[in-house]
Amino acid sequence: MQSSRKLLAAFLAPAALLYTVFLLTPVSFFLAFGVMRYDAIDLFQPVLTLANFGRIVLDPFYRSIILLTLKIAALTTVFALLVGYPVAYVLARGQSAWRGVLMFLVVAPLMTGEIVRTYGWIVMLGSEGLVNRFLIALHIIHTPLQLLNTQTAVVVALVHILLPFMIFPLISALASQDADLVKAADTLGAGRLRAFIEVTLPLSRTGIMIGSLLVFTLSAGAVVTPALLGGKAVQMLGQTIYDLVLHTLNWPLASACASILLVLQLCFVTIQIRANRRAPRPG
Amino acid sequence: MAEPILVLDGIVKRYGDVTAVGPISFTVDDGEFISLLGPSGCGKTTTLHIVAGLLQPTAGRVVIGGRDVTDLEPRHRGMGVVFQSYALFPHRTVFQNVAFGLRMRKIPRDEIRVRVRKMLDLVGLPGVEDRLTDQLSGGQRQRVALARALVIEPRILLLDEPLSNLDAQLRKRMRQELRDLQQRVGITTVFVTHDQDEAFEMSDRVILLNHGHIEQSGRPEEIYDTPATRFAAEFIGNVNLLEGHVVNADGPQVMVALSETLNLSGIAARPGFTARDPVYLMLRPERIDLHKHPPIGQDALAARIRRRVFSGDLMSFELDMESGHSLLCTKPSQDEFRGFAPGEAVWVVPRACRVLPRPS
Repeated sequence: MQSSRKLLAAFLAPAALLYTVFLLTPVSFFLAFGVMRYDAIDLFQPVLTLANFGRIVLDPFYRSIILLTLKIAALTTVFALLVGYPVAYVLARGQSAWRGVLMFLVVAPLMTGEIVRTYGWIVMLGSEGLVNRFLIALHIIHTPLQLLNTQTAVVVALVHILLPFMIFPLISALASQDADLVKAADTLGAGRLRAFIEVTLPLSRTGIMIGSLLVFTLSAGAVVTPALLGGKAVQMLGQTIYDLVLHTLNWPLASACASILLVLQLCFVTIQIRANRRAPRPG
Repeated sequence: MAEPILVLDGIVKRYGDVTAVGPISFTVDDGEFISLLGPSGCGKTTTLHIVAGLLQPTAGRVVIGGRDVTDLEPRHRGMGVVFQSYALFPHRTVFQNVAFGLRMRKIPRDEIRVRVRKMLDLVGLPGVEDRLTDQLSGGQRQRVALARALVIEPRILLLDEPLSNLDAQLRKRMRQELRDLQQRVGITTVFVTHDQDEAFEMSDRVILLNHGHIEQSGRPEEIYDTPATRFAAEFIGNVNLLEGHVVNADGPQVMVALSETLNLSGIAARPGFTARDPVYLMLRPERIDLHKHPPIGQDALAARIRRRVFSGDLMSFELDMESGHSLLCTKPSQDEFRGFAPGEAVWVVPRACRVLPRPS
């Protein structure tokens, strides 16, 4: 008992050290700025205050940023789930010889940088971009559509970038199900759709939860994609923090924003886990 | 005679170039309990899935109650299926599992409650309605699976090795229980197993499968006493198979030369043996009489005991015959046979020999 505990500690020590030194400590320091008073010359004064949080909550500008962040993250999560589920289903259950190719296509985006992929979307969506040219060539439109610098562009790109994070937990949830369950439902009188709704879907709930958590937290904290594809039209918390830290040099306010982002993400995690636990059994 | 409830007519299942099953044909009468018995890979589960509609046959027809259902979806066939893994829904309670098929049939809630309760009583599982299935023991899970399949009042019950996940003790008890239940409900049952004891204890009729075709079918006693092939003889029980050639055939009585000096006669497993056909002479180990002294008035063969194995209720003797053959002989563990020791000279009288075809 004692020795197995020591062994456990030894196994976890390297990761714990890494997390403490390079994650918890700097993040705690940075978050501590949030309750300090802003100072234009010294960056901050060591005076405790809630003014930064008050400003974010009361100022309509910052409030709208929070709401937009939640909206974009929620939309990204929903669409990633809708797009990712069928792909995961085919990869987990399919018999096709193309599964290997499909798996590669799912993994491939992870091998290129987020910035590269985002620039790819600029090429696609710009007013001189492929989509507009194609639509004009087909005489569907006459003047280029405003595709860049829209919420739609940001959501589409985030869904594309974060899709693998949705698909992999879903694959593992679907592949771990006993394939006879659907057959059993079939012999008991359930059609394909009914069997899916009654059996497959509820049993993949854990995969849905983990995938949604990953996509939601990653999209809520996204910086590069909303900055490049959303421009000024899509101002999310990530960019706001970035601007406050590097350009405005208001670290206390940046820190307060970061705290709020963190709290929003933790809220989502808690709600998801609670909901999953309340259900009769995690799938 | 009434029309059979299930007819398989020339069923074939091919995967690419590999033929998994067939062509096989058989019928099952109303209320009959039949076993599809065979080693793994013999196509018994595939055949069961074809009956259930979970697999589409490459060729042939499945007829249930006079209606061709070959192209009918499983959910419209009205089969009750118990899977080897039981395939209970892990996110549902016992009640919800059993109620599933009734709910799909849009049966009113009150009636569902009554029928599920009744069925759980019938399979001997009252009071566990609200448990999740992973809180149950293997035997209980098996009963839930059975209740779920029976509650929809299927025309045929299909069981895919339902006892193979249970421990040995429980497995033996469930054989009897399952058979009793089948008799009480009076439901036609097709039971897939690789276990000869299971098949023999439970079934009215056994269909012995090998490499996707029917090796033999019949009542358990028929298959045991009169196996048609070497496979049937060896798959079921212990057996002595002695190679030889036909000397002469007189109707079903065939004289077989086993060596220069030894001829024995047996009953032909099939008609049409002629002189010099290669054959096996089959003797069941318990159908060999063993004597310390040459019995009077019988043709006895001299032998010597090589090995003696005591296994509680049975004694097994490995005998070296004077002709050079060796023979396995089992006797009930009574005083009469306990005295036989290795090295001792004995006389044997084979009874009920069978003559089986042997590929040359």
